[in-house]
Amino acid sequence: MAYNIPDRYQDLTPAPQLDKKTLNKMVWLSCFLQASFNYERMQACGWLWGILPGLQKIHTNKEDLKASMAHNLDFLNTHPFLVTFVMGIVLSLEQNKAETQTIRSVRISAAGPLGGIGDALFWLTLVPITAGLTANMAMEGQIAGAILFLIIFNVVQFVVRFGLMYWSYGLGTKAVTLLTSNAKEFTRAASILGIFVVGGLIANYGSTTVRMIVGETQINIQSLLDGVLPKLIPLLITLGIYALIKKGWTPVRCIILILVVGIVGCAFGIWSGNSQAMDADGNTLPGGYTPLVEWYEYPAPEEAAE
Amino acid sequence: MEISIIQAILVFVVAFIMGIDQFSFLESLYQPIVTCPIIGAILGNFELGVVVGGAYQLIQIGSMPIGGAQPPNAILGGIMATIFAVSLNMEATADGVGAALGLAIPFAVFGQYAVTLTFTFMSGMMAKADQYAAEANVKGIRNLNFLEMGVLGCLFGVLAVAGLYGGSALGETLQQFSYDFSWVMAGLDAAGGAMKFVGFAILMKVMMSREMWGFLLAGFVMALVCSANATTSGATLILCAFVGVAIAIYDFSTQTKIKQNAGAGAGYVGGDQDGI
Repeated sequence: MAYNIPDRYQDLTPAPQLDKKTLNKMVWLSCFLQASFNYERMQACGWLWGILPGLQKIHTNKEDLKASMAHNLDFLNTHPFLVTFVMGIVLSLEQNKAETQTIRSVRISAAGPLGGIGDALFWLTLVPITAGLTANMAMEGQIAGAILFLIIFNVVQFVVRFGLMYWSYGLGTKAVTLLTSNAKEFTRAASILGIFVVGGLIANYGSTTVRMIVGETQINIQSLLDGVLPKLIPLLITLGIYALIKKGWTPVRCIILILVVGIVGCAFGIWSGNSQAMDADGNTLPGGYTPLVEWYEYPAPEEAAE
Repeated sequence: MEISIIQAILVFVVAFIMGIDQFSFLESLYQPIVTCPIIGAILGNFELGVVVGGAYQLIQIGSMPIGGAQPPNAILGGIMATIFAVSLNMEATADGVGAALGLAIPFAVFGQYAVTLTFTFMSGMMAKADQYAAEANVKGIRNLNFLEMGVLGCLFGVLAVAGLYGGSALGETLQQFSYDFSWVMAGLDAAGGAMKFVGFAILMKVMMSREMWGFLLAGFVMALVCSANATTSGATLILCAFVGVAIAIYDFSTQTKIKQNAGAGAGYVGGDQDGI
């Protein structure tokens, strides 16, 4: 993180409206939102790739393009089919040369909640219904099932992608001009919303728990911690990493630290983790895995009646 | 079953494409209902592929990738189930293919390992992405995306072709391996789950100031409360956003009024961003 992202762009004159061709190009690229998915920033790099045609048109000043690209690499996790909504909003802010902190706060606030909506709409509704119906056709040996599934799924997907892009871009450009007269207050309000949502993300996506069950009475350490404060571990890790990054640690160093602590911790059976491994009979392992050093006994699951 | 070199290459290509499609592109080709008939056709038993695809799809509906959680991989599961069904010449009925699904599971687990390793590796590459961004290197960003797609595609292709030649004997070896080293994969799983905290911390560094800590904790609490309740847990982040928006709008209107009053009074002196 040698590069410091400035608060303001150098060229503050609003850029002209983006043409249809550029918007369409970004919709197609939005299909590759998760092309470089990773555990640290999730969809960040794919997001940047997708929105770059617009950013290049908006930021003709090279320094501004650098700043814009750098802050568009923030952590991002949203629903891949709804991402064009976030793109439209962010593009309208970029176009009006809003402060970088405003854009960052608005982006995470818009992206986070959409993830939940999208999961409910697509993975829990559209896929089960279409795939459920067409899978039965396939079981009878009809290939029409697969073709029907592909057609329905992709028509819905692209209607949503294109529709949201144009809708939110229009909406954003209208709203943004109203807010530029109070830019400082808007940045502050956006940061409040952003930080509120980040707090929510920690609790919502923070899945790190401990596995240990110790003592004669089999005390479950995780339940003890939950009694103190649910999601205590995710909160503490986030605050710890925040402190490290403030001290000047690079994200890569933080990741290596997490990797080492994760694997060493699992060697001693500290963290919960799912290895997906099975024993020779095809049963899953109690507690998700077998630690290298077993210093406590993980209770065997209740024998299934067979 | 005799396997020609052309069949092996075709299986590799299909696995390569599906390995990418599970996260990018159409995100629907990789579903077993589509993948299995294609593999069936390559191996010369299209009809069996269609049936295996339907059966696997019904299992898969129960385990969709939601909120970053990953089921054992559907692609290698589907491809290998089809390979086993065809090579063991199973009956083209739902019951007949059940055994093929079971044999495919170790491969599905390894497909998941391939994903975990790639995501971990690419977390390290984000420093490179930061560097490219700071240089406004558009091609560099694009190439990073190509890199992950290429790595994922190749890993899936290699696993599928290995499965094609290795069959159930290889499946047993893989199962034993994952059993012996379960703590390593569990460690990667745990570490992968914690890496997003680095992303959160970077965001906090941007937005955090002394008076913001309360809002961070308020959002944290809001999400905890919503997720503890079965009727609201699915909408946790939307509900968080509603409350956050209310606070932000209230703050915005208060701050703009303060500014107006300050302007009407002693003249605008600035420094109002410190609030209250």
